[in-house]
Amino acid sequence: MAEPLLSVTEVVHAYGGVQAVNGCTFEVPEGVICGLIGPNGAGKTTLVDVVAGALHLQRGTVRYAGADVGGWSPDRLARAGLIRTFQLSREFRQLTVLENLLVAATGRIDESLAGALFRRRQIAVAERALVKEARGLLEIFGLDPLRNDLAVTLSGGQKRLLELARAVMAHPRLLLLDEPMAGINPALMGLLEAHIRRLNSQGITFLMVEHNLGVVDRMCEPVVVMAEGKALAVGSMADHRASDAVVTAYLGRGRPA
Amino acid sequence: MPHDLNYYLATLAVYFLVYCVLTLGLNITFGMAGIFDFSYITFMAIGAYFAGVAVLPPSNQPGLQWILGLNLGFPLDLLIGAAAAGVMGLLIGLLAIRRIRSDYLAMVLVAVWTIAWSVTSNMIGLFNGQQGLIGVPQPFETQLGVNPNDYVFVFIPIAAVVLAILFTVAYCIERSPFGRALRATREDQDVAAAFGKRTVRLRLTAMTIGCLYAGVAGALTIEFLSAMSPNAWAIVETVIIFSALIVGGRGNVFGAVLGALLVRIVIIEGTGLLPTLPDHPELIGATRNILIGLLVIAVLYFRPQGVIPERRRRYFEARKPAADTSQEVAKGG
Amino acid sequence: MELFLNSIGFGLVTASILALAAVGLTLQFGMTNYVNFAYGDFMTLGAYLTWTLNVGLGWPFWPALFVGALLMAIPVLFISQFVLEPFTRRSGPTFHILIVTFAVSLILSNLILAIWGGDFQNYNVGTDTPINLGPFILSVQQLGIIALAVTCMVAIHLLLTRTKLGKAMRAISDDKNLAAVTGIDTRRITTIVWVLSGMLAGLAGGVLALNVASFDPNVGVTFLFVIFAAVVFGGIGRPYGAMAGALVIGLVVEVSAVFIPSAYKLDVAFLVLMGVLLVRPAGLMSLFERG
Repeated sequence: MAEPLLSVTEVVHAYGGVQAVNGCTFEVPEGVICGLIGPNGAGKTTLVDVVAGALHLQRGTVRYAGADVGGWSPDRLARAGLIRTFQLSREFRQLTVLENLLVAATGRIDESLAGALFRRRQIAVAERALVKEARGLLEIFGLDPLRNDLAVTLSGGQKRLLELARAVMAHPRLLLLDEPMAGINPALMGLLEAHIRRLNSQGITFLMVEHNLGVVDRMCEPVVVMAEGKALAVGSMADHRASDAVVTAYLGRGRPA
Repeated sequence: MPHDLNYYLATLAVYFLVYCVLTLGLNITFGMAGIFDFSYITFMAIGAYFAGVAVLPPSNQPGLQWILGLNLGFPLDLLIGAAAAGVMGLLIGLLAIRRIRSDYLAMVLVAVWTIAWSVTSNMIGLFNGQQGLIGVPQPFETQLGVNPNDYVFVFIPIAAVVLAILFTVAYCIERSPFGRALRATREDQDVAAAFGKRTVRLRLTAMTIGCLYAGVAGALTIEFLSAMSPNAWAIVETVIIFSALIVGGRGNVFGAVLGALLVRIVIIEGTGLLPTLPDHPELIGATRNILIGLLVIAVLYFRPQGVIPERRRRYFEARKPAADTSQEVAKGG
Repeated sequence: MELFLNSIGFGLVTASILALAAVGLTLQFGMTNYVNFAYGDFMTLGAYLTWTLNVGLGWPFWPALFVGALLMAIPVLFISQFVLEPFTRRSGPTFHILIVTFAVSLILSNLILAIWGGDFQNYNVGTDTPINLGPFILSVQQLGIIALAVTCMVAIHLLLTRTKLGKAMRAISDDKNLAAVTGIDTRRITTIVWVLSGMLAGLAGGVLALNVASFDPNVGVTFLFVIFAAVVFGGIGRPYGAMAGALVIGLVVEVSAVFIPSAYKLDVAFLVLMGVLLVRPAGLMSLFERG
């Protein structure tokens, strides 16, 4: 059997004295939309930060695309195709919507100082292609009319769409989404869902932290349930609903399931 | 026109050209990369001192002491001055471009200035201490044999050519993917890294380029004035350059040039025309600085992007101002 | 050895001045979460207000110092409420407020220059007799400075631990939003702390000018970076850290003057500042705390 795209083994991360992630183990096979659920404080976002290199891997191993990526910096992981979004939208505020996308295309255009001064023609050619691709994406996400507006002026929902469009522009192989549906209205939720499915069918693997279990139920397979820093169970939502352990973890200890 | 007025205007032109180099450099470090380089004026001084000791002969008498003394001519001295400032900028950058809050970074960089200032003032053997370097030969002074009163007209083209080159470089950077990556890093370092940007390298490059510009401005200053002492690079000068950039508009080359014009020429030279009270000679300088301070606060409050804001670049499309309004409407949803 | 011991004496005096200044700066930081780069000029203003009362009106030094510090409330209230507050309320990019404090510094220092002139001034304090206290030789004025600092530090300690205001200040410093939710009037407390910070700056500026004997409008600014060193050493925003930092930096600065040319003694503080910021931005005191 082929190696999974991402495998997380016995990962530990503690802040101060709190073990936010405490021996977490699971795998994400290539081509899936993997859900990551769990109660507040289960360590989901910390785990995403560790996998994306934003937090230091204290113990355990993270393998991505056949390599041990423990200790890799976020930018190196990104260049290897592991892209993440943030729980709160973090657009480049004073860049235009189109520029937000162009910035994401690291490695596909000469971003060196020497290039800026001496290879302007080649850059213009590359840039024309990038702009075309970016505008195609913006068109799909319904943001093309806003392409020349500063990202800071977008509404909350538009920022969510921009965040996803920008991540796609980076040509990810694995996309980590940290609560993509948080704080958006149901209509937009359906739209985002459709986009994610479409991107998945184009070959992008997703690992998605999400609180909305309805969304997870519709989209994700497998689903990893985290509690107290560990992966409690891995399977389909139907399996989890039948599992006492999972239900107890969600409803809290000491209460009847 | 009387010669005096011509001379005065020509001198103003030189000051303006040199100040443009300063604001353009800070625009790359602070305007584009968002680095709070509060030691900026230090690198101007380094450029000036190293250009000075590159032109001057070796020092051989007490009371006039300096290192090196290479006896070189223009433009080698300018290159040496710029290179010295760039190398120092890179070293300081390695110390300072860490992930610390911008106000902490400002404290570190102000501390860098303080140490540099105190060392230069107290170690006489370095750059002649508090008195500073004096009698630095001007470029082509001997070759052309012009009257010292007319020399300013020789210097204008020199400064103009240097500025033209540096302006072009800054313009290319602003419009390049490199510049875009710098601006993304300025907006959010974490996100820029999450999209594969080598943020430390980008910030170091921006810091070094800014310091190179400051070094060139310093070299031009000492070449024109023939002298440089610690009084010329008090910390307040950094605040004034920041002010110029903020007023003019950071993140774009035209804002940097406009800021140089408004602050260096209109305010600084404008207040210089005020009548001097014989008992209170310090009033003019004080008025000038108070005006600059008030202007910066007013601009940050009423027009935080500066007079000329960073331009929203359109990529491969014709300018259609009419389309803009319809987009504003579409955005409502 | 005698030199060394005596430098410790001077170190205690410098530490006292530093403590007054550093606690004032750090308390304000705790409320507003930004560094006030105009603080050095607040100190200078305090020194000159004291000078006007002392030399201009002929008051004795110490009453002039206290009234001068009280008068500081007026300009500090004006600056904090009408200049800085509008920017914090708007919550723009953080660098705006930093630039504004630099601009305030530019304006204030030049107003001082315009009002009082650029010449060196002295306080009218009469002759002072050195006193031998064990290994230390200190003047009566210097003992006064130490006594003032100790009194103020005890008062601040009591304020922070025994009063409602002090508890509210600590709550805001820990978490401003949480404090606001629990019903603390953060705006009012912040204003009070600004005034307190300005008064401490006034006291510190006055005793600094007294200790350096003759001063000019740069007196506060040259000392500002030493204050930063003390504040950062103890962890910015922590009053007890600032006190400890003041003691350490004050001693280090004066004792180092025994070994290196005294022109560079303040630079030692800057090296400490840079070192601490680069190694442990939260301050060295954070090493000794839990969590």
